[in-house]
Amino acid sequence: MRGISLNILLAIVWTLFVGEFSLRELVIGMLLGFAILSVFPLSLGTGGYVRRTLAAVRFALFFARELTAANVQVALWALRPHPPLHPMIIAYPLRLSGDNAQTVLAATITLMPGSVAMGFNPERNVLYAHVIGARSPRAARESLEKVENALLPLYGQSASQTDPVETSA
Amino acid sequence: MNDFNAARDIPILLGAFFVLTAAIGLVRFPDLYSRLHASSKLITLGSAGIFIGVGLEFAQTEALSRLAAVLLFQFLTTPLSAYLIAQAAYLRGLEPLLEGPDEWNALGKAALLDRRPEELKEEEGEGQMEQPSPQGKG
Repeated sequence: MRGISLNILLAIVWTLFVGEFSLRELVIGMLLGFAILSVFPLSLGTGGYVRRTLAAVRFALFFARELTAANVQVALWALRPHPPLHPMIIAYPLRLSGDNAQTVLAATITLMPGSVAMGFNPERNVLYAHVIGARSPRAARESLEKVENALLPLYGQSASQTDPVETSA
Repeated sequence: MNDFNAARDIPILLGAFFVLTAAIGLVRFPDLYSRLHASSKLITLGSAGIFIGVGLEFAQTEALSRLAAVLLFQFLTTPLSAYLIAQAAYLRGLEPLLEGPDEWNALGKAALLDRRPEELKEEEGEGQMEQPSPQGKG
C-alpha cells in the first residue's frame, strides 16, 4: 500500500513539474516514480512493492504469450476435421492461498491452453477444471502448475507449501 | 480510406479470424464444456485484436485509455461467466462427454458444492432432515 501510494504521489509531482495534467504525463510520472522506488527500496521501504510490480509485469508477458498460444491451438482444433480433444475434468490442488489469488488463477487458466475452471472446493482447496487437448491428467495438472508458478511471486507466496490432496492421495 | 494500413488492419483481421474460429468451434465442439473453451479463449483474443486495431486507428490517449478499460473488463468477465456456466451446467447434472477421468465426480463433492438445499433433499430422498429451507414456500 505504501509503495503504490508513493508511486502515485511521485506521478502527481511529476505532472506538477511538467505543468500539464494528462494521462500521458501521469503514465510517464508513474514510470519515473517506479524507477526512483526501485533505486532506493530500502530507505523508502518499498522493496516488496517493487518486487511485486516486476512479478506482475513478468506475469503479464507470460499471460500474453500463453493466451496467444492457447488461441492458436483452439483455433486449429476448431478448423481441423477430427480435433484431438480428450475432454476430462481434473482436480487441481491449489498451493496459492487467499481469495484474490485463487480467483485470478481460476480466471487465468480459463483463458489459457485447454482448460476452463468450473468448480472450487474450499474445504480441500481444490480447483476443478475441464481440460481438452491434454494427453493425461498429469500433463493437464502440469500445465496448470506452470500458471500457478507464475502467479505465486505476484502474491508474495512461495511454492514450498504442501498440498493437502497430494499428501493424502 | 481504401489504402491498406498494416499496423491497423493486421490486428483487426487477426481478431476477426479468431472470432470466426470461435463461432466455428462453438458449432463443432461436441458438448457445452468443450464449447466454452472456444467461446472464452477465442473471443477474448479476437476482441483484443480488434480493439488494438481500432486503438491504432484513432491513436489518441482518450480512445486508447477507453479501449484498455474495455479490454481489462473483457479479461475479467469472460472467464467468470465461463466458470459460472460450466459450474451451473455440471451441478444441474448435464453430463460432460469425457474421454478422460471425471475427478470432480470421483471425489464425490459435486453435490456438496451445490448451495441449494431444497434440491439436494429431492435428490437424496428423505435422508437429510437437518437442512431447513431458509425461505418458507410462498
